[in-house]
Amino acid sequence: MSVQTRSRWAPLTESRVWRSFFRHGMPDNPLDRSLVMTSNIFLHLHPVKVNRRSLKWSYSFGLGVISAILFGVLIFTGVLLMFYYVPSVERAYPALLDIQLSIPLGQFTRNMHRWSAHLMVLAVILHMVRVFYTGAYKFPREFNWLVGIGLLLLTLGASFTGYLLPWDQLSYWAITVGTSIAGYVPLVGATAKSLLLGGPEVGQDALIRFYTLHVAVLPLLMMLAVSIHIWRVRKDGGLAINDSGVTTEDKPADAAQPGEPSA
Amino acid sequence: MATSDLPTVTDETFPKRTNKTYALVELMHGEGPMVGKGPDGTVFSFPVVLLIEIILVLGVTLAVFLFSLLKQAPLEAIANPLVTIDPAKAPWYFVGLQELLEHMHPTLAGVLIPTALITFLVLLPYIDRSRANVGIWFSTPRGKRIVLWTAVYSMIAMSAYILLDNAFSLREILRYIVPEWIAQGLVPAAIIALIVAIPAFILWRRKASTRELMIALFTIMLFSALVFTLSGFFLRGPGFKMYLPWQMPNGYNPLDGL
Ligand code: HEM
Repeated sequence: MSVQTRSRWAPLTESRVWRSFFRHGMPDNPLDRSLVMTSNIFLHLHPVKVNRRSLKWSYSFGLGVISAILFGVLIFTGVLLMFYYVPSVERAYPALLDIQLSIPLGQFTRNMHRWSAHLMVLAVILHMVRVFYTGAYKFPREFNWLVGIGLLLLTLGASFTGYLLPWDQLSYWAITVGTSIAGYVPLVGATAKSLLLGGPEVGQDALIRFYTLHVAVLPLLMMLAVSIHIWRVRKDGGLAINDSGVTTEDKPADAAQPGEPSA
Repeated sequence: MATSDLPTVTDETFPKRTNKTYALVELMHGEGPMVGKGPDGTVFSFPVVLLIEIILVLGVTLAVFLFSLLKQAPLEAIANPLVTIDPAKAPWYFVGLQELLEHMHPTLAGVLIPTALITFLVLLPYIDRSRANVGIWFSTPRGKRIVLWTAVYSMIAMSAYILLDNAFSLREILRYIVPEWIAQGLVPAAIIALIVAIPAFILWRRKASTRELMIALFTIMLFSALVFTLSGFFLRGPGFKMYLPWQMPNGYNPLDGL
């Protein structure tokens, strides 16, 4: 039994101020390295320990994390844009001109927001492709695969609703083309389309609906879903590469009593 | 909480050398969570995982940052419902759908096929219940070959379908002979179904596993979507007519619409 020597950070980490913030000492030993993960709301989505294999770049290419990072960039730049943008048919386009021409770093912020959005759609698709080809949708990760599909649709929805906001010819006609597809759905198509647009065609009602979906409804749903998704990765026993080699013979999911995925 | 006098957990649980000898008391069937996972190759997430994540945050942000310095987000004239722009394209991730709409009845292209694809993705983990080779790219070398073949196959088949249907459309010939739902619905649906069914049938004859079948179907879906997206994005010009990318009339550049 090896006995830990007193940490040299003890004067700090055992002070009352530190202890009122953190319920652990300096994370330089196994116990505190566990506590730092479990007692922090942001870090607790991670497991305390991870398998070395799951850090292998050529397995996941970090695409899930990259999607999450781009989502973060989008929130940050999106909130900045919200300070100037007005979702009104008369004022949206002038606001865009303002952002581009007179607001410091406005054009740059808009660029960041738009390119991250495109990149996020791409990253999420590629992430799904990697999850599929590595067979990571199988037991016990079926549910997380479904959460993922929800996230894919939410990502597309967020991107699509954002597309209208500049209120220029490009966005107006792209959304007109896009929503006309909804009209083809038998029976409910017309209703769905007018629900989305708030009227027969793209106008003020559509703009305010797209705006509300884009800045509130969809991002909130995505934050919720991303949290469930990443937490669930941990609950399902980490990345599927951890399971490779454990179950070698081909047996249906419900045959043998499976080992509880540990986290 | 005192951090002193803690045993090093790993040494306790998985002693490397021990003088104790064990007696076999009983054989149990079943799996414990750690069976076969032995003294595991795990590391503490703190700080390794966090460092990797910080590096990724910096890398991704820097990439977007640099790109944003170089390329401006587009902004055209203010929206005008009275003046259509030509071509009017959906955002790139839906332009494959728009391309599909050029080739068949809108209910088929805009509703039935997308619904079928999403249904396929949703049901996938419940259809393919095998648990072999989880966490391995393409599962097996044979899986990898299937990906390769079906990828090449679907790129050729779908490109041919787009070009042929564009050049002399069977649907146009049938237009005044049979009802619309046959010419625009049934005929293209049958062609697409045939393109998908051929490799699936070949694999089935070769006793492919469910996973291998799913690999084939997913790959066909992925690369067909790629072909339709590329075609809609790069080959469609004014009037959504087909042009070579470097021969676009009116100086139209698809990349301006990003
Ligand atoms: C906003 C979109 C998404 C975010 C932020 C996200 C995030 C993540 C993260 C951080 C991981 C950990 C591993 C990694 O980085 O690759 C992960 C794993 C996973 N994701 Fe996603 N994801 C998203 C969309 C999707 C989609 C579209 C799917 C599939 C339809 C999906 C299915 C899964 C599955 C099954 C795992 C476990 C993979 C394994 O065990 O190897 N996710 N996701």
